[in-house]
Amino acid sequence: MPDAIVIKQLAHTYRGGAPVLHGLDLTIAEGEFVGLIGLSGAGKSTLLRCINGLITPTGGSCIVLGEAVEKMPESERRLLRRRIGMIFQEFNLVDRLTVLKNVLIGRLGYLPTLSSCLHRFPASDVSLARECLAQVGLTEFEGRRVRDLSGGQKQRVAVARTIAQGAKIILADEATANLDVLTKDEIMDLLKDLVRDTGATVLFSMHDIALARRYCTRIIGLKNGAITFDAAPDQLDDAAVADVLARAEHGAMK
Amino acid sequence: MKIIAMLSRLVGFLALAALIVWSFVGMEIDRAHLPTGVAAGFSFVGRMIPHGKADFRYDLSLRDQIMQPLLDTIQMAVVGTVAGAIMAFPMSFFAARTSVFPRSLSAAIKSYLNVSRAIPTIVYALIILSAIGLGKTAGSIAIGYVTFISLSKLYAEALESVSQGPIDAVRASGGNSVQVFVYGMMPQVFPHYLATSLYSFEYNLKDSFIVGIVGAGGLGAQLLDSIHEFKLLDTGVIIALLIVLVNVVDYCSYRVRAVFS
Ligand SMILES: Nc1ncnc2c1ncn2[C@@H]1O[C@H](COP(=O)(O)OP(=O)(O)OP(=O)(O)O)[C@@H](O)[C@H]1O
Ligand SMILES: [Mg+2]
Repeated sequence: MPDAIVIKQLAHTYRGGAPVLHGLDLTIAEGEFVGLIGLSGAGKSTLLRCINGLITPTGGSCIVLGEAVEKMPESERRLLRRRIGMIFQEFNLVDRLTVLKNVLIGRLGYLPTLSSCLHRFPASDVSLARECLAQVGLTEFEGRRVRDLSGGQKQRVAVARTIAQGAKIILADEATANLDVLTKDEIMDLLKDLVRDTGATVLFSMHDIALARRYCTRIIGLKNGAITFDAAPDQLDDAAVADVLARAEHGAMK
Repeated sequence: MKIIAMLSRLVGFLALAALIVWSFVGMEIDRAHLPTGVAAGFSFVGRMIPHGKADFRYDLSLRDQIMQPLLDTIQMAVVGTVAGAIMAFPMSFFAARTSVFPRSLSAAIKSYLNVSRAIPTIVYALIILSAIGLGKTAGSIAIGYVTFISLSKLYAEALESVSQGPIDAVRASGGNSVQVFVYGMMPQVFPHYLATSLYSFEYNLKDSFIVGIVGAGGLGAQLLDSIHEFKLLDTGVIIALLIVLVNVVDYCSYRVRAVFS
């Protein structure tokens, strides 16, 4: 399988902050379902945002679908991003718009500017958006405004929006964190089917170790801005989990 | 550190208290004349209110005199608000601190807006009157300029308070900068733009009364004349019209805002 994502010596420091990522190397092949685990604040979201170029890393390189993201100007990144879907940890929906409109935002990359200004989407996009809403169980909600939904419903709209995009790579940032056990499985099954049917690649940051073990083909542990675990789920025993999720020893505490 | 912070807060509080006390004391209210003064005020207002059929008939007879200036007042407020809002829309993008333009440009524009805002509409009206002569064109320009200044600032503040989330979402799905604006920003700022524009229209209705006092068109001139000539029934009609007008607009703007919330 060709490589979907190749990361070399990736480093990032937010302005005025401490380094978040340093010297991170990672290669993900097409069709992998990768779980990304790590403590809160470990840099999972930062890593995902470097991959689709929402953040330009302060060092190193992300080669996504064969193209070096950090070298591209915004106009080219835009074209690449159409093939990289992102489910945001904070959903990032447009509260005042309807559920259906929010899902259609996933199609914006393919819509001419003028039509998008007039909110005119082709009928094929609208029916695709409806299908995606059906897949996350929100068919009856299409006309509702997003701000009137529950947290888990919003999360599912965000999932539908990303699926509607039809991307080759899906970056899922804790995309099931607000869901019950049953719905979590439904969303994970949905992504798994997508990998099977379309050859998509999934990179999924999550805190639910059991879920990661069940669905992922590979698990990566992020600790102190670098990868400290990278193996198949059956290798992730309790000791390995404890190691990834251990707090860094503070200098003063030694 | 904490003590200094507490002390400066205390000083600020005392200064504010002193300002308030000083302002009230400065009113030089004459206690002895207060009862007669209040009575005179009531009688003044009382004479604005029609008593009996004859007064009502007189009020109605003012129709022809008052209708045209009233329409002028409304026109000035509409033209001023619309023109000001249209100009403020692009200006707000340069003025917003978070815009793509250099910070120094937005800072310069903000200072210009703040200086311009400190000057009351009537001063602009007087300047424009001396340039182009009496009439409602001068009033409209003055109101339009003041609206442009205040809406530029308010629109810019709405843009500055936009949350990044929806913008990131549109970018992440491959949207271009126009689409980021239409889907990521507009839905967030639109209710603010609408509310501030409507509020500004209400404000402009009152302002277009005021500029009439210096001869810039509208009912203001009639209002002033009626008081000078002691035709208090006229004054009463004009004030009643202003009250009705402002409240009708207030109600309509409430309904419009509710639809687009
Ligand atoms: N925009 C930002 N500006 C400055 N610092 C940031 C910014 N975003 C994140 N950080 C910091 O970078 C570090 C990593 O954050 P990140 O969001 O990548 O963590 P995470 O692993 O996704 O955590 P969580 O599991 O809580 O979502 C944190 O210490 C955070 O405070
Ligand atoms: Mg995160």
